[in-house]
Amino acid sequence: MSKLKVSFILNGEEIEHETLPNRTLLKMLREDFDMTGAKEGCGAGECGACTVIMNGQAVNACLVLAPEAEGSIIETIEGLSDGTHLDPLQQAFIDNAALQCGYCTPGMIMTAKALLEENPTPTYEEIKEGISGNLCRCTGYKKIVQAIQSVADQNRVGLGND
Amino acid sequence: MRGGFTLKFVGKSIKRVDGVKKVTGSLKYVDDMKMPRMLYVAVKRSPHPHAKILSIDPSEALRLKGVKDVITGEFYTKRGGLYLEDKNFLAVGKARYRGEAVAAVAAESEDIAQAAVELIKVEYEVLPAVTNAVEAMAPNAPLVHPDLGDYKVAPVFFPEPGTNISNHYKLRKGDVDKGFAEADFVFENKFFVPHVQHVPIETHTAVAQMDADGYLTVWASCQSPYAVRQALSAAFDIPLNKLRVISPAVGGGFGSKAGTTLEGIIIPLAMRSNGRPVKLTYSREDEFENAYVRQGLHATIKTGVRKDGKIVAVQNEFIWDGGAYTEYGVNIVKAAGYASAGPYDIDNVCTDSYCVYTNHPVGGPYRGFGMSEIHFGIEQNLDIVAEKVGISPVEIRRINGLKPGGRTGTGEVVEVCGLMECLDNVIRDIELDKEEPASGPNKRRGKAIACGWKAPSMPNNAASSAVIKLNEDGTAHLLVSAQDIGQGSDTVMTQIAAEVLSISPEKITVRTGDTDHTPYEWQTVASRITYSAGRAVYEAAQDAKAQLFELAQIKLGVYKRDLEMRDGFIVSQIYPDRKVAISDLALGLTFEDGSGVHGPIIGRGSFIPPNIRNADKKTGLGEHPVAFWTYGAQGVDLEVDVETGHIKVLKVASCFDVGQVVNPQMLEGQLEGAILQGMGTALYEELMLKDGKILNKSFVDYKIPTSDDMPELVVSFVENPEETGPYGARGVAEPAMVPTAPAIANAVYKAVGIRLSTMPLTPEKVLAAMKEKARKM
Amino acid sequence: MRPFEYFRPSSLKEASELLVRYGDGAHLLNGGTDLIVRMRDGLTLPSAVIDLKGIEQLSRIREDEESVYIGATVNLNQVGRDETIGKYFPYLVKAALSVGSKQVRNRATCIGNLCNASPLADTATPLMALDAVLEVFGPEGEREIPIQEFFVFVRKTSLKPGEIVKGVRVPKTAGQGVFTKLARRKEVDLSMVCMTLLKAQDGWRLSYGAVAPTPVRLPKTEALLNQGAASEEILECAISEVKPIDDVRASRAYRLDMVKVMLRRGLEQIEKGGAVS
Repeated sequence: MSKLKVSFILNGEEIEHETLPNRTLLKMLREDFDMTGAKEGCGAGECGACTVIMNGQAVNACLVLAPEAEGSIIETIEGLSDGTHLDPLQQAFIDNAALQCGYCTPGMIMTAKALLEENPTPTYEEIKEGISGNLCRCTGYKKIVQAIQSVADQNRVGLGND
Repeated sequence: MRGGFTLKFVGKSIKRVDGVKKVTGSLKYVDDMKMPRMLYVAVKRSPHPHAKILSIDPSEALRLKGVKDVITGEFYTKRGGLYLEDKNFLAVGKARYRGEAVAAVAAESEDIAQAAVELIKVEYEVLPAVTNAVEAMAPNAPLVHPDLGDYKVAPVFFPEPGTNISNHYKLRKGDVDKGFAEADFVFENKFFVPHVQHVPIETHTAVAQMDADGYLTVWASCQSPYAVRQALSAAFDIPLNKLRVISPAVGGGFGSKAGTTLEGIIIPLAMRSNGRPVKLTYSREDEFENAYVRQGLHATIKTGVRKDGKIVAVQNEFIWDGGAYTEYGVNIVKAAGYASAGPYDIDNVCTDSYCVYTNHPVGGPYRGFGMSEIHFGIEQNLDIVAEKVGISPVEIRRINGLKPGGRTGTGEVVEVCGLMECLDNVIRDIELDKEEPASGPNKRRGKAIACGWKAPSMPNNAASSAVIKLNEDGTAHLLVSAQDIGQGSDTVMTQIAAEVLSISPEKITVRTGDTDHTPYEWQTVASRITYSAGRAVYEAAQDAKAQLFELAQIKLGVYKRDLEMRDGFIVSQIYPDRKVAISDLALGLTFEDGSGVHGPIIGRGSFIPPNIRNADKKTGLGEHPVAFWTYGAQGVDLEVDVETGHIKVLKVASCFDVGQVVNPQMLEGQLEGAILQGMGTALYEELMLKDGKILNKSFVDYKIPTSDDMPELVVSFVENPEETGPYGARGVAEPAMVPTAPAIANAVYKAVGIRLSTMPLTPEKVLAAMKEKARKM
Repeated sequence: MRPFEYFRPSSLKEASELLVRYGDGAHLLNGGTDLIVRMRDGLTLPSAVIDLKGIEQLSRIREDEESVYIGATVNLNQVGRDETIGKYFPYLVKAALSVGSKQVRNRATCIGNLCNASPLADTATPLMALDAVLEVFGPEGEREIPIQEFFVFVRKTSLKPGEIVKGVRVPKTAGQGVFTKLARRKEVDLSMVCMTLLKAQDGWRLSYGAVAPTPVRLPKTEALLNQGAASEEILECAISEVKPIDDVRASRAYRLDMVKVMLRRGLEQIEKGGAVS
């Protein structure tokens, strides 16, 4: 088994990389690029802690093989802030105390980001349903939904729908 | 301790100090750590729940390219354990549960380590297994620990050698026989609570490295670095000054990361790897099977009650399925025992709480430490008794609930108790008395309440400490080993220090989790950190303040009794223009001639909760056996689908007496999370064990609540100060989960008239019970 | 994960040749949400993984006068969002959107859901009710497999070595349909029982999942429905046509009860005009 070339865009940067095929995108991101924000909570696509955005869609990186990244556009939590400014979602999570241990947080924020890209003004129910693929054991979800809702409300104002 | 002045930082929703690191994904948890030349560990596990290990042949595994080492339990046979020394990190002589570690491999990659594990040959002689705690107590049951009599045990626990009973706790208050004789009614009810698992989203993980000079460093996702240090020091004969435990971040604990779990497996490998770091990360399946689980409980509650609703006698038998090792579980059994009367004033109480070995996964500390399990019985039992006597569930709790001046089950006089206020709040918040319609013809709606209480279960002398170093620019470093496992202790400790020193929280950097650099903390468990570590921080800040006042007195020519801290300055209360900045005194006081005195200001604080004394060994009675009790109540509004049995929780109200809210927003989060965790155990969660095998050790079939299961949540608090707590605060992390499951069970009864005496209340069980009831009518 | 060769062919011919070349050791990779988990758990140990997502023609949803055609690599969220599918088969949309989580559905495919041949595959019952036809490409040419001949047993289909399902052709069927999934938890759970009930113009169609080794149609019950038999008789017939077992998710007895409850509720919903197409 030999390494395969894989080219993709990672948080806006063009990447030319080599990887053995028998590993997941999650492992490749964590081990080769030190993008450890995405976590392995179960390795089986049930907890969402590994969520990244691939070609605009939220996916479980533990269910994507590393070579499948070829030609794709991948966004991880590390790409959301520029080191100085936080993404509005990240700020909303802090302002609403929507995190406790923080382990589900990167995946949760990426799912929320993808949700808001698809639908900038979801309802409370749509948010609850939209993040149901991300398990959290600490918060009880209420403040997470409120945080996302606050960004949705900002979007509503921005779109002139208040 | 509060003093009646306005608080600036305590009581405010200060934003989490670790928030940015967490929302950017930049915080490195232990599995995120990469070290050069790291080796990966995989573990060989017993396929049998009970078996003698006849031989282990690692030779083929050792020949696999990339394998560096294989160890078994024979390398370190010294037993250890927190309260009872009954466990080894790798099995010695026999395996006592299915999944027990019998050998471990260190290799260049995880894949190679896994492949090597398959090549290790183990010969077993299968032994008869006990997989039911009640059966395990029978006279001729196979013994899980035949040498129980040789085990070292803390003097407050009472194992029965020659049996599977590793602790028999007794509570004997008053005279229950007399009580039952005087009662107008006597009822007996049984309850069963199965095993569940904590399900932290981060699984257990640890890295160990031994230096050339024999200095061992362990990075572990653990709640209690000092406890890990102590356990490893004892197990491997390494002096404490040559053993460093670092807990850089914890992705959820809930008790599963208290004490030690996998840390000891990697130590021998690290000791033999010639300086290479060694890492072990549990898979989710490992987490279900090989991390601590919450014990199962068989409970029998006998109640003697008068016509007017006053309970005059309670007799409890708690038989706990402690699993293969009960080094921690013995204390859960004790805690449940001394709390067994519930938050109620009952004159005659007789409880026998047994910790029983079985060939099941290892029971250990789980949020609530026995309280959730026993309250599932206690709170349903109360509703059952109330109905039979002809009074309401609220009424029976008003009559019997503890109030100031009452006595607990151990005879302790209650001084502070907000139970009734909490109950009133939840009754109001779910509108208990308002009958509301169900959402459809096949649904029935019901509302109910439940109460709960808990005290921190810890050794009487469990200690906390803190150090504050003032910096020459007026900022400060706060060093504690209280571990932020999500509950927000980093932020709370910062708030307390900020309050005493009157400097803004942004000026304080808190550092934790390093036994070389942050001072001793017994454990981050027991809902004790805000209270105990908080007190230590308070004392350290007071100590720094006292030193500042000494120097300021000299500098300002003002008596130190007339000084106060204000916004980074030490200020005279009488002459407000006479002040000096903290930054000017942080490294000592310098005089005009250039000389200096005192040196850097280092505030120290140490705290042991005052005056906690052992209860009587025979009766379990004690006047002050715990630091404090936290009381609370919850109300649940739910619907049941009468054709499928599905339960939908519509709304949960929760209220606890926390003494003093330190951070309202974070406290809400604690209460909200606890409700969902309680809901999980009530509706979905169960480790399905058959002949010692877990049938559902993955998220496919072990379900925890998702966001779409979240009901409407209304949380509130009551503040009756805890005298010895910092600013009057007491702990609530665990109590917050205790009433949820029984409140749900009580509400189901209200909705469809059926009582389930076991958890979880699955649709199938609910439907079966409804059909059974219909058949009987 | 054990070592394997990874291929991303750009044509069906290439993919099929790879399948034949590697024989039993070859596995098709589509959404990956089932295969990768099995590989992680050591249940499937391929020596060659053949990724279909490079074959562009498989990614389309097409429509002609008589059918809607869903290509093999179309994911479940795409099925759920598609206006045409939503117009003709709203109950298939519901079924597709009930699988796993949003993240899983962004990868998992409808065809993959069928080819795994799990007895509880959620997209199977609507397609069974619709008498969908799988279009297959193989070393000996192309053929069609009516869905009722596709599922052979648990995780076994009637595909021959080297064959690849290109897509599924779903006949436009006027009528009212209902899809119901009963699970332990509201989201992200496997079905305890799932059902599609379709009152088509040419008669009733009824299909269940998770109550037999494969998803099944209930022809006798359909006949009774067409005859306008009494409700009690219909429900009893339904449970006679299924063979549920006890497993960790539910017992046989509960599943049988739910077969009846779901059918009764489905009939009520259609009575009231639910889910028209």
